[in-house]
Amino acid sequence: MAFSMQPYGIQSMLKEGHKHLSGLDEAVLKNIDACKQLSTITRTSLGPEGMNKMVINHLDKLFVTNDAATIVNELEVQHPAAKILVLAGKAQQEEIGDGANLTISFAGELLQNAEELIRMGLHPSEIISGYTKAITKTIEVLGELVEEGSETMDVRDKEQVVTRMKAAVASKQHGQEDILCSLIADACIQVCPKNPANFDVDNVRVSKLVGGGLHNCTIVRGMVLKGDAVGSIKLIEKAKVAVFASGVDTSATETKGTVLIHSAEQLENYAKTEEARVEDLIKAVADSGAKVIVSGGPVGEMALHFCERYKLMVLKISSKFELRRFCRTTGTSALLKLSQLKADDLGFIDSISVEEIGGSRVTVVRSEEGGNKIATVLLRGSTDSILDDLERAVDDGVNTYKAMCRDSRMVPGAAATEIELARRLKEFSFKETGLDQYAIAKFAESFEMVPRTLAENAGLNPMDIISKLYEKHASGNAKVGIDLEGGDSEDGFCKDVSTLNIWDLYVTKFFALKFAADAACTVLRVDQIIMAKPAGGPGRREQPAGMDED
Amino acid sequence: MSLRVLNPNAEVLNKSAALHMNINAAKGLQDVLKTNLGPKGTIKMLVGGAGDIKLTKDGNTLLKEMQIQNPTAIMIARTAVAQDDTSGDGTTSTVLFIGELMKQSERYIDEGMHPRVLVDGFEIAKRATLQFLEKFKTPVVMGSEPDKEILKMVARTTLRTKLYEGLADQLTDIVVNAVLGIRKPDEPIDLFMVEIMHMRHKFDVDTRLVEGLVLDHGSRHPDMKRRAENCYILTCNVSLEYEKSEINAGFFYSNAEQREAMVAAERRSVDERVKKIIELKNKVCAVTENNFVVINQKGIDPPSLHLLQQEGIIALRRAKRRNMERLVLACGGEAINSVDDLTPDCLGWAGLVYEHVLGEDKYTFVENVRHPHSCTILIKGPNDHTIAQIKDAVRDGLRAVKNTIEDEAVVLGAGAFEVAARQYLINEVKKSVQGRAQLGVEAFADALLVVPKTLAENAGLDTQDVIIGLTGEHDRGNVVGLNHQTGEPMDPQMEGIFDNYSVKRQIINSGPVIASQLLLVDEVIRAGRNMRKPT
Repeated sequence: MAFSMQPYGIQSMLKEGHKHLSGLDEAVLKNIDACKQLSTITRTSLGPEGMNKMVINHLDKLFVTNDAATIVNELEVQHPAAKILVLAGKAQQEEIGDGANLTISFAGELLQNAEELIRMGLHPSEIISGYTKAITKTIEVLGELVEEGSETMDVRDKEQVVTRMKAAVASKQHGQEDILCSLIADACIQVCPKNPANFDVDNVRVSKLVGGGLHNCTIVRGMVLKGDAVGSIKLIEKAKVAVFASGVDTSATETKGTVLIHSAEQLENYAKTEEARVEDLIKAVADSGAKVIVSGGPVGEMALHFCERYKLMVLKISSKFELRRFCRTTGTSALLKLSQLKADDLGFIDSISVEEIGGSRVTVVRSEEGGNKIATVLLRGSTDSILDDLERAVDDGVNTYKAMCRDSRMVPGAAATEIELARRLKEFSFKETGLDQYAIAKFAESFEMVPRTLAENAGLNPMDIISKLYEKHASGNAKVGIDLEGGDSEDGFCKDVSTLNIWDLYVTKFFALKFAADAACTVLRVDQIIMAKPAGGPGRREQPAGMDED
Repeated sequence: MSLRVLNPNAEVLNKSAALHMNINAAKGLQDVLKTNLGPKGTIKMLVGGAGDIKLTKDGNTLLKEMQIQNPTAIMIARTAVAQDDTSGDGTTSTVLFIGELMKQSERYIDEGMHPRVLVDGFEIAKRATLQFLEKFKTPVVMGSEPDKEILKMVARTTLRTKLYEGLADQLTDIVVNAVLGIRKPDEPIDLFMVEIMHMRHKFDVDTRLVEGLVLDHGSRHPDMKRRAENCYILTCNVSLEYEKSEINAGFFYSNAEQREAMVAAERRSVDERVKKIIELKNKVCAVTENNFVVINQKGIDPPSLHLLQQEGIIALRRAKRRNMERLVLACGGEAINSVDDLTPDCLGWAGLVYEHVLGEDKYTFVENVRHPHSCTILIKGPNDHTIAQIKDAVRDGLRAVKNTIEDEAVVLGAGAFEVAARQYLINEVKKSVQGRAQLGVEAFADALLVVPKTLAENAGLDTQDVIIGLTGEHDRGNVVGLNHQTGEPMDPQMEGIFDNYSVKRQIINSGPVIASQLLLVDEVIRAGRNMRKPT
């Protein structure tokens, strides 16, 4: 009698292999623990002195980075609660493109403090209500901390852009931020449309080429395409361009066609008419004034022959998106068929040249006078992983630019904002009656994580610094932050950040804190977990952690 | 046992073992769902086989995702799912009610009572409770102008049990406005006309109601307009791409000119169709600055797109079939299946059409329509589980509003009805029943209290105190419910807590039926081959 022996409770009702966790100890605290573990991993990468992580993903690809978004992405977190944190980090990455580390680390800290509260005897729902009150207050205070005069900015003024971008880039590539920021700012300003709110991240491209060093990095106003030109013409200047979305070849019917030939004469004639057709088409292109043909598909042998004869340069761009970008760069629209051209179908470029950089051939398309729609940051570095990391720093910088185009407000960086928020929130918690105040106080305490981590990562004494920061903030200067290089000066490591010029964007902080608080509350709200048996499948044994993210 | 003689492999549970298995299963399921009930219920996290996360407070979702195997639990779960199908809410209550009925019965059965007698009592109590419900309900006059306030209260009551307060209150307005928007006099409400679309973007509180439609795809031509105002909308189901003939055809040609002619001929019929649309566009937009949008259910191939783009027409291809119907309702005009008889009457109108790009995904908004008989609830949230949670809640909220409009009645919530019904059963019905069936009525009456009890438990209050407080007030003739903040009795009418009449009726109808069936089981037999591995 197998089923009379079934245990009582939910476990008996579920399919084999299901796991069921419930209650404070089993679900809530375990969840918190998992989230803590995750944030411990990312935390050491926070800030300019953050450590790099070496992550090898399931495809054996190596990542050396301190970008939290990449780390958690490649970690393939399995624990459901920790995954909520990862999702919050990803949401931040998608929304702003920077600050993922702050989101995850802060959420982890919030949960760690929640654990202490739970051990004190508070119910999670009380913590949630306290945290919700605290985040609302935080947002309010954050709005007050915005640096005066930063509401408006000229997004085309390089200096202002660099000021706002520096902290974001510095946290990824410390010590190289000056070079990188100037490059990124140049590229962004160049492609910034008339209405800055429409700035598209896609318009700043990154091209990575192994070799050289950071000092060889340049900006190309236009595009850098990997690969060679098809024909023998490798350099052309100040020319008109025709873009064809389909291939440059003889036209074909959708239905299968067969050439009907009755005699040898016809065979000969057929080849001739074919040739004449192609020549007509290519000639039409050449006559229209175009000197460059860009094809989205294959280029026929015969067409290529005539292109050479009419001195046309031929480029092949097989990616549809790349082709669209090329169209944007040159101000053309891609034509579907090789046919008669109108003058306004043509675009204009300053130069197209095939260059050899660091052993690989690239086609550099420059368009300085024209649309100026696309800029490419040409990154050089000694290894692939360095290049990848540089690329992420550039991406963060570009995303920061996008964020500042929408909302240019900034707040003091280098943990000055966090300390001020902590201070104000603590005051707020004293005014609160009821059990909420404990949760709000803990929320305030969680902000100390940022200066503590910054100090720890830089090898300084965190307690010392935090107390000093509090002292200075209490005396009225809300802009005092950590100066990581200020050991010799009389102020020690605490300095007014407005003199250091370290600023964070208001939106980045806003979203990061909000996502973090949301994620923490979500994790706390869960009191039962029901896990299905992990789906099996081939190859799971080789890579026990290799389950798909989505 | 005799069955063993017939089939040596069969498993059998005899009388009391069978009953207890059923009772235990019902109680077990009740335990799982108990913490879900009410605004203070906690969230369950479901982790799927592929590691995907789902967070829910909704009993229905939970039952669906849990993959229950126990046969009794499945029966109860099915009843609950049926509850969801008919009324859209009350799944948790159903399960709790059944569980509590079984629990109460267990007490009597252990004292030697025959289940049949209890079942008789259930039947009497059920009928009496339904009659009481008719008396107890608060009628609402709907007419042509429904009372928005009452609808909002009902929607809020439902939504607050699924989501946290701030978001629930915001969704309340959205849900009520959506249903009132699509409502047509003298026709049943078709909730399919409310499209629920989601974008992974921003925060959950950015969810909004779009008076018009949101399509989850964009135009496929890079140079088409991204934004247009004052648009004529042509909804059509016409193929604007070259289609291969069904028979196996081929061309024979002997020189390149002939082939060119073939290529042109192949496209001619498609081009003609496109030209007709362009003609119509020129006719209606000749002098004005108005724009023209083509939304096609079938495909539009690149050459056709190009032609349309040159005329400044926005063209969307491969729209979903369900959206075609909604488009017509939202924008007006009619969906056409052929371009031969195009007239300006076929066209709909929208004030604003624009495309929103979110990473890789494109969304097209058709907004500011004249008569939004179809609208979209656009759910936003930072991650998938938030979106899924809101989606479930919105669906329930819509159903709640629809039920209210159709029932033309609401029931006081917060446990008020349950307490009142119990008092009625104990004080009046029980006395009119002869014999042992009285105990059945009593068990039923006590089982009703599970709702206020659980509400109190989830709010961290003392169950006994709360029940005594509530029944005391009811004895004094005041209809009160539970204030889950303070634990004190309060008037649900003042607080605006109303439940759906049909939900309550369904619970009372289906709960006792399934409980009776389970109680009357006296043998459980598992015969046939055991598909599971021997343990």
